[in-house]
Amino acid sequence: MTHANLLTPPAQITPQTALALSQKAPPILSTSPTSPLPWPLSLLFSRETPETWTIHENLLFASLRTGDDASARQVLDRLTTRFGADNERIITLRGIYEEALAKDDKDLEKVFEGYEKVLKADPTNFGVRKRRVAVLKSLGRTADAITALTVLLENSPTDAEAWAELGELYASMGAWGQAIFCLEEVLLIMPNAWSAHAQLATLHYLSAPASLPPLTLSLRHFARSVELNDSYLRGYYGLKLISSKLIPLLSESTSVSKRNNNDDDDTPPPKLQSVKKLEELATSKLAEAIRQYSSGNKDWAGLDEAEVIAARELLDRDGKVER
Amino acid sequence: MPVFGAALNTVGLIFLTHAVYSTHEHTVAFAHTPLPLDITIELLVSILILSAGIVAASPQLKPIQWAKWAGKIEREGRHGEGKWTREGEEVLSEGDPFAFLGLGKGFGTNGEGRRGFWDVRGKRKEYANWVRAGGKQ
Repeated sequence: MTHANLLTPPAQITPQTALALSQKAPPILSTSPTSPLPWPLSLLFSRETPETWTIHENLLFASLRTGDDASARQVLDRLTTRFGADNERIITLRGIYEEALAKDDKDLEKVFEGYEKVLKADPTNFGVRKRRVAVLKSLGRTADAITALTVLLENSPTDAEAWAELGELYASMGAWGQAIFCLEEVLLIMPNAWSAHAQLATLHYLSAPASLPPLTLSLRHFARSVELNDSYLRGYYGLKLISSKLIPLLSESTSVSKRNNNDDDDTPPPKLQSVKKLEELATSKLAEAIRQYSSGNKDWAGLDEAEVIAARELLDRDGKVER
Repeated sequence: MPVFGAALNTVGLIFLTHAVYSTHEHTVAFAHTPLPLDITIELLVSILILSAGIVAASPQLKPIQWAKWAGKIEREGRHGEGKWTREGEEVLSEGDPFAFLGLGKGFGTNGEGRRGFWDVRGKRKEYANWVRAGGKQ
């Protein structure tokens, strides 16, 4: 399913795919994308397209990943001669190249100092600031990475990518409250991102898997994610999981619900009936997706196989007989 | 459908050309008489056929509701549309516009989102381990 495509690399690159991607280096490197003619003529007879440079950048990443450093160097040199050594993006790419070649933590510290130097000259280079965070993370200094990232976000609070990264860092340390805050910031910037809704719902669920208010919030966000994307397997999976947890909780707490309502006005628990309806909906949608995917329907071939398997396991665990 | 559309377009174009040619010949031969009715009818009919043909030959419309559109992307995945770049890479159809956030698959998954924070050394290590393990699935 995952074909190696350098123009739009797949969302998940396995080592096999990485190998296939980096094996495309020789044919691409054998022909020069820029024209050898002098200036005015080179404009007329240039063979480069905007895609050319996307492909070169992805090729650089692929060859660094597979350890084909010679090709990576060649690609980097091409990019440098085309865009100049002072280009912000080129500085970042060069940094990635040096990081990849660093043998141990000492070398990596040197790269880090290089970044500091670049930032002293030009503090607005956000590519390099992000690399700084990545290096700290790679050195295992997660707390420092979080500090660096918060400083970055103070200067640029609309950077959804950085918020998402910060959320992931906090979540990796088990700081659910902060992680949830970060994902909410992502949603402020991109309110239609169904994956961000699903991630936020997952965080709410992980923060307290057995208490009512977080489960309610989780249910709401999963419901929103499938409202934004009507075949989102992860959304339906979460919807089913959360509602199956909520149903016993809700039927238990119907007698005490009046008292509960007072201390948490923000998140009144959902009605038992609507949760049951949501569970039914999720079950039927998951069953349909599994059926269509396993029957080899071409219109459903884009689903992630691992997700379909997980959904099937969830339905099997549920014990209901699926057609 | 595209064949049907092309056929309609061809027929319409033939009629249109014929109508225009007839009009030209008529005005040259009888300069001060009104245009005969059959030429007018032929012209109108040819335009109707041509319009129908253009509509029939047009590509499929995209869903305009957000959820349907997103669902279509999710179900069908990215697939080639018969176009290649000079380097031989296929141009793929539209994908998840939020993939760059790297949130799609949950925690601890080694996705390719968030390119700004790309973990070179981690990915290199993963690949090296795979090679050392024999390079199989």
